[in-house]
Amino acid sequence: MQNDVNMYNFFCKLAAFHLKASFKIMCYIHTISLEFQKYEQVYNEQLKKGTVTQKAQFEYAWCLVRSKFSADIRKGIIFLEELYQNGNEEGRRDDLYYLAIGNARIKVGVLMFESVNSVLRFLNFVCSVAILEYSTALHYVRTFLQIEPGNQQVQKLETLIRKKMEKEGLIGMAMAGGVVLAIGGLVGLGLALARK
Amino acid sequence: MADCPHTIGVEFGTRIIEVSGQKIKLQIWDTAGQERFRAVTRSYYRGAAGALMVYDITRRSTYNHLSSWLTDTRNLTNPSTVIFLIGNKCDLDAQRDVTYEEAKQFADENGLMFVEASAKTGENVEEAFLETAKKIYQSIQDGRLDLNAAESGVQHKPSQPGRNTLMNDQQANKDSCAC
Repeated sequence: MQNDVNMYNFFCKLAAFHLKASFKIMCYIHTISLEFQKYEQVYNEQLKKGTVTQKAQFEYAWCLVRSKFSADIRKGIIFLEELYQNGNEEGRRDDLYYLAIGNARIKVGVLMFESVNSVLRFLNFVCSVAILEYSTALHYVRTFLQIEPGNQQVQKLETLIRKKMEKEGLIGMAMAGGVVLAIGGLVGLGLALARK
Repeated sequence: MADCPHTIGVEFGTRIIEVSGQKIKLQIWDTAGQERFRAVTRSYYRGAAGALMVYDITRRSTYNHLSSWLTDTRNLTNPSTVIFLIGNKCDLDAQRDVTYEEAKQFADENGLMFVEASAKTGENVEEAFLETAKKIYQSIQDGRLDLNAAESGVQHKPSQPGRNTLMNDQQANKDSCAC
């Protein structure tokens, strides 16, 4: 009985801890989305007037590449590419860094499938698109490291991208393997039922 | 400058230290001091349990900017946030542009902790973080810092009995290139 009470107390504490932690995370996400709206508004207002300052564009792009939506990230990448081409020398390294981050963060969405064939085609597509985006990210990282070979922040980013690439490559292969197994299982089941 | 350029945006790191027999995990956020990042890094101040404000003792301009950084820090953190002033590059005493006494006075007037350190030689770097953690730990013991408040920046992990870990958001707010 005493043990049960102890266990109950333990789980209550654990639940309270997780609730508190998730509340903090929610507060944080809320702040981030407020920031996002603020910088988006500044950018749009300047756009309406006809001249967008580099500061406003950079701040908005900075929010965009950190968004969870791929469409936002792609928009941010376009802005950063523009800034990289037109910006001053000092700011270029920042643009490169966030271009790498943006490209490494793009995720390919999950679609609905109508046939086995489209699943396989989609998997193939996902793998090639992911690899393409990661290699773009690596390209930016390498360009950066050519200028500043010893930069630890960028070296860390490079390792991270490589790890993600490796992991997702493996997941892609596992997914493809899983699909093949599932189809095999279904066919086997069908055959077994047909024999009965 | 070539071997130690400024931080881009924000960088994260963690370190586990021990204060009064308690294991404390410090979560250190290093924010860029460049004007370009001034606005966007403001969102990282929230919920910090401590802030380290770094200036360069060989460049007076970085010292002169301190009051505006302090205003930002005060406005965006809690009253209980520990603020530590750090004079970096103390290894370059010959090129000194700000005296120890002057900075110490500024720190005392504003209720900040103060130390001179060198990121290059590592002098007083560990100590600065340890002192900040100690001060935060004291605030918790005194009840000035409420762990249940959403923005205390500190989490208590009860999952392992007998080994308490305090999670700690700590922000290292680097004023210009602090290396």
